[in-house]
Amino acid sequence: MIDLASLIEQANELAPLSTSTVRLAELVGNPDCHLDDVAELIAFDQALTVKLLRAANSAASASAVPVGSAREAVTRMGTAQVLALAVAAGARPFLQTSVPAYGLDEGALWRHSVAAAVAIEIAPNFCLVEVPPEAFTAALLHDVGKLVMGRFLSPEILGFIQRAQEVDHLGQLEAESLLLNVHHGELGGLIAQHWHLPPPVVQGITYHHNPEQGLDVLCDLTYLANQVAKQIEAGLDGRKLDFSVDPAVAERLGLTPQALDNFCPIAASRYTQVSRRYNAV
Amino acid sequence: MNTADFDYVRKFVRDQAAIVLEPGKEYLVESRLLILARKEKIASIDELIKKLRSDPKNGLHRKVVDAMTTNETSFFRDIHPFEALRKSIIPELMARRAAQRQVNFWCGAASTGQEPYSVLMLIAEHFPELLKWDVKFIATDLCSEVLARSRAGCFSQLEVNRGLPASLLVKYFVRQGASWEIREDLRRRVEFREMNLVKDWPALPPLDIVFLRNVLIYFDVETKKTILAKARRLLRPGSYLLLGGAETTFNIDDAFEREVIDKTICYRVKQA
Repeated sequence: MIDLASLIEQANELAPLSTSTVRLAELVGNPDCHLDDVAELIAFDQALTVKLLRAANSAASASAVPVGSAREAVTRMGTAQVLALAVAAGARPFLQTSVPAYGLDEGALWRHSVAAAVAIEIAPNFCLVEVPPEAFTAALLHDVGKLVMGRFLSPEILGFIQRAQEVDHLGQLEAESLLLNVHHGELGGLIAQHWHLPPPVVQGITYHHNPEQGLDVLCDLTYLANQVAKQIEAGLDGRKLDFSVDPAVAERLGLTPQALDNFCPIAASRYTQVSRRYNAV
Repeated sequence: MNTADFDYVRKFVRDQAAIVLEPGKEYLVESRLLILARKEKIASIDELIKKLRSDPKNGLHRKVVDAMTTNETSFFRDIHPFEALRKSIIPELMARRAAQRQVNFWCGAASTGQEPYSVLMLIAEHFPELLKWDVKFIATDLCSEVLARSRAGCFSQLEVNRGLPASLLVKYFVRQGASWEIREDLRRRVEFREMNLVKDWPALPPLDIVFLRNVLIYFDVETKKTILAKARRLLRPGSYLLLGGAETTFNIDDAFEREVIDKTICYRVKQA
């Protein structure tokens, strides 16, 4: 059976993000952040510079003039996108792995994460609230807790979770909480904390299923990103899935019914363009 | 788990703690007993139940009851009751008890202590003068293991992540390795006691604020009636009872009246 202490220990043992990525997250989250500071930080990390240039010159981002420096990449893509790509580059090796306990084959978690980041990219076109730059990072990493949780979910525990869902009509999250005393959102928040990501990112990941408990716009946005990502994936698989967003979240984000109707088709179309960019990192 | 074993467990859990386990909850019993069996180095649930049946005095029954208790809690759980305390309940209480400068709080089913410590932090933040009064803060729980944890006031990162603002974490806790320990001056203000809500209650002083949140949901109506009647007799006139969001006194103990404070429903004993 699951041991909470070892679960937490494993969450803390996940290889950390690079120092420059963490520093970048702090910098971008600062309202006084300047493009030059971001460019300078990236320029000192050769591996990250190469990845960003490759992403900036990928089909989804490139213009006629190729990008040749970290500063140009930051100017072209914006600090939020740059942060998302840096985080994606660090987390991709983990997120590519399969998580059978959640029915995720190799690459499925990564695709879901990218789809969630795409939802954040287009969110400013639909939401009336300002979308903080850290929202990309929270969206990309929102399910990182499943990586650790998945290792502990034996068939026996999965059976209990399934029965809790059937007998007591609990959602996945409530069933995890009842039986394991922790859910994958909380575990993801712990991992983000261990990686020294900014507190709003930790909040967004922790409360991506129950944003009303997070009391932060990033929780609402990460929740929305997760819902949209599920819809994008269903569309790609040819499955029909009802798109639902908690009305309280829609109200807090200023999403009108018309905006909600249009959100998923545009996100799906953008996903096919942008996923190439993320695959370049 | 077969029906006979499930019925055996649910009967003594009901007798000991009035926790109602409806048919269908076998999965919950199995999952909790499996953890207990591993902890006690017992090979299987079947083996554990055999031991329970063979010797009612081996201490295992108590451990099973503890295992079946849901200890879900968090700092500032549901937030709104704490807002009501800050905006209305505590200021009113302080005005009412200003002459005596003495107040008593009780958290029933306090679990690992997040609720009493949340109230204390709220008082320390917004009503520091109250801490100069004669304040008795009693927190009780059925389970000795969780009471020991409450007394220690030591919380994991996961626990402090649940509802505790970073500013309060830094101000009222001290880091101890991977854990966080509540400041000694707050910790020693709470008197933790073992108490089974469905058995005889130990002596409690007249109370000004009673927290019985998210515990009545586990009981049947008769047990709820008994508990509410006992709590009512301990409340000073004009005092408050706070229940969980899914709990009410309505149709259970109509000697209480509802009072709505913003998004919180609290209960007071009707005055004659």
